[in-house]
Amino acid sequence: MSRNLIEMLRAREGEAPATALTVLKEAIDERGQISDDDRRHAATVSGLPEATVYGISSFYDDLLQPRGRRHVCVCTGTACWARDFGEHVREVENGLGLAMGERSADAEISLGQTVCLGFCHTGEAVREGAIVDAGEGSPERAVAGTLREAPEPAGTSMLDEPVLLQPGDWSGLRRALGELSPEALLAEVKAAELRGRGGAGFPAGMKWEFAAKAPGTDKAIVVNGDEGDPGSYIDKYLMEQRPELLLEGMALAAWAVSARHGIVFVRSEYPRSLPILQAAVERARDDGHLGEDIHGSGLDFDIEVLEGAGSYVVGEETALLASAQGLRGTVSARPPFPAERGWHGKPTVVNNVETLCNVPFIARAGAEAYAALSPGATSGSKLVCLNERFNTPGVHEVRFGTPIGQICEQLGGGLRDGHEIKALQIGGPLGGILPGWKLDTPFDFDELAAEGCMVGHGSILAFDERTDMRHLARHLLEFGAHESCGKCFPCRIGLQRGLEMVEREGPVDRDRLEALLETLELASLCAHGGGMPAPIRSLIAHFPDELGVGGGDAGDGDPKGPDDPYMRRPAEPDEEGKPVDW
Amino acid sequence: VKLTIDGHEVEVESGTTILEAARAAGRYVPTLCFDERMDPFGACRVCMVGVEGAPGPLAACTTPCRDGMVVDTEDETSRRIAGATVELVMSELPDDPGGHTELAEVAGFFGIGEPRWQGEQRRPAHDGRHPYLVIQHELCISCGRCVRACDEVQGAFALTATGRGFGSGITAGLDSGFTDSTCVSCGACADTCPTDAITEHLLLELALPSDKEGERIPT
Repeated sequence: MSRNLIEMLRAREGEAPATALTVLKEAIDERGQISDDDRRHAATVSGLPEATVYGISSFYDDLLQPRGRRHVCVCTGTACWARDFGEHVREVENGLGLAMGERSADAEISLGQTVCLGFCHTGEAVREGAIVDAGEGSPERAVAGTLREAPEPAGTSMLDEPVLLQPGDWSGLRRALGELSPEALLAEVKAAELRGRGGAGFPAGMKWEFAAKAPGTDKAIVVNGDEGDPGSYIDKYLMEQRPELLLEGMALAAWAVSARHGIVFVRSEYPRSLPILQAAVERARDDGHLGEDIHGSGLDFDIEVLEGAGSYVVGEETALLASAQGLRGTVSARPPFPAERGWHGKPTVVNNVETLCNVPFIARAGAEAYAALSPGATSGSKLVCLNERFNTPGVHEVRFGTPIGQICEQLGGGLRDGHEIKALQIGGPLGGILPGWKLDTPFDFDELAAEGCMVGHGSILAFDERTDMRHLARHLLEFGAHESCGKCFPCRIGLQRGLEMVEREGPVDRDRLEALLETLELASLCAHGGGMPAPIRSLIAHFPDELGVGGGDAGDGDPKGPDDPYMRRPAEPDEEGKPVDW
Repeated sequence: VKLTIDGHEVEVESGTTILEAARAAGRYVPTLCFDERMDPFGACRVCMVGVEGAPGPLAACTTPCRDGMVVDTEDETSRRIAGATVELVMSELPDDPGGHTELAEVAGFFGIGEPRWQGEQRRPAHDGRHPYLVIQHELCISCGRCVRACDEVQGAFALTATGRGFGSGITAGLDSGFTDSTCVSCGACADTCPTDAITEHLLLELALPSDKEGERIPT
């Protein structure tokens, strides 16, 4: 993220009526495509250079696909894929006579792909405008133009008193403002050992502490509502069904670190989330939970809701901050960390939606009660969400440490129509794949890590016995390559090469694949390139025959000779007589 | 801040990166996206080094030195993944970069031959609308140096990164060429480019056999 661009934006803070991204989104919403005049207008409004605006307009999915008067989007997420392996996509393509990304010659209709509309509990999700349809018959309705609103998922809790499924009542904020100093609240959150729920599991209290140390109140709490992980709809559920819980968590974070600005960044793939959150913010202002001198505490804090434009990597915190300022959603190297220089250069806390939804309970009941929710395991409770392969999919609140098989059987009711679990992908596309014979693994950070998997976002996505694992590898790498932000070289090129390796017919050279995965894992700038190898490694470990990885000599021939630099031995001297180390 | 680099104890000012410290100590650390005139970017991942106690290799250009750090610029894993990354870069170029370019030098250092991974390459596309600055898009490796030179050195903001993922690239103005942008023809972009993706007409003509000129430079 260019410091000069951020300073340009900062100089106009409060003056620019909209970001360049917002202006471009409005242009394509109104006119179906973006012209150079739109770009010039976006530059004038935002105060950014024209070239910068061009770069923004070429980055986001939502800005790239020209739209007809009807714009139909089909979900290509992993939960939809696990149901019919892409058949619904072909059905819509054939029905409309358009390929993905095409617009009819008369500009009447266009077809776009979208990665995960968050209707993983029904599958076959399609969208037109703000209407998302899903489940049996939705592809036909998409073709006919008769979409209807799909049902939202159910939520259940295995706790006697739900924590995350309980509607927010602002009692945690009232208690904190009345009884806890900012330092005391911060200490409580640290004592609760609340770990981030967005994937990395970083201790939230530590993040807060970094930001709290910065002087003044010109700081921001930014909520990462860009739940892009295909198969996850937990944050969607919380934003739409429990918005007060999230807003209360934000206000508590603001109290703990002394922040004035709150931003919720919502994905554009969740058209229902934005208006629901905006309405909840209005209500909270009316009730005095947001605004100036909240409940007489001296805390000034207000919240703005922003919408993304179609990019998975924007879920990474530095990319999210760039996108929230209307720039290209590419990742930046840290330091500087957001806690030092984040939104508009201010000290910023970036937390995931579910992470903040845990905070009201901690403020109300204390760290000890929070730890007691999952005895002998990670503190607190966790929402998991199951895909439509299960008999009773939906959002379930579980204790950490619960065996995964128990979640699948007791909460998920096993797979529908007598299907069997071949494997599960847990936590999102960067999570490893747990084979069906390891379901006794407890659902917790360390135990899953030992299996090459992760808690991640908490999605539990079942693949049944019909699933071809080579096809799955291709599906995952297609997603990975499409969503790479393109900044760091290993991810930008490596995911494309990985995809090409599994796309080709015939065996895959295992040595080359593993060398590629190692490079992605260790050299990538962020968790996207770094994490994409995890599921592929699981497939190599558990389903090598299906993946087509033989020994080192299999694959496209060309055995390594002495000229291959990777075959050099450490002691072999180079021309100058110095030993080369590889 | 005191640290050890390849067995030598060095003392640097707080805020110094490992790359700066290593180069000051006379160690060679290869880079592609780094140019000392601009802020470190951390994109090419070629300056990876080993640091004792770190979970894995670190990018020297964006990692600040800390007291007591023990750095190995020739760490085996770091060199292996950095070399593989350069190999990936070579696999996306339809032509070898000119022998005088930084990319050719770095590829030579790692001993890169035929890349182990083959596939789609960058499509040849040339922009010769400026009197002497040319963009050869197929040689662009998206290191961002030209964009940052235009932004941080010249302050002209005529260039931008475009697209994303494998389709990333660069362009001037509204993809309208240098002359129809805020370009001030300073040449900072061509000066910093490690592959000749942006270069000057004259240099290009000198570097190419005359029978290839017509193919590569639009008139």
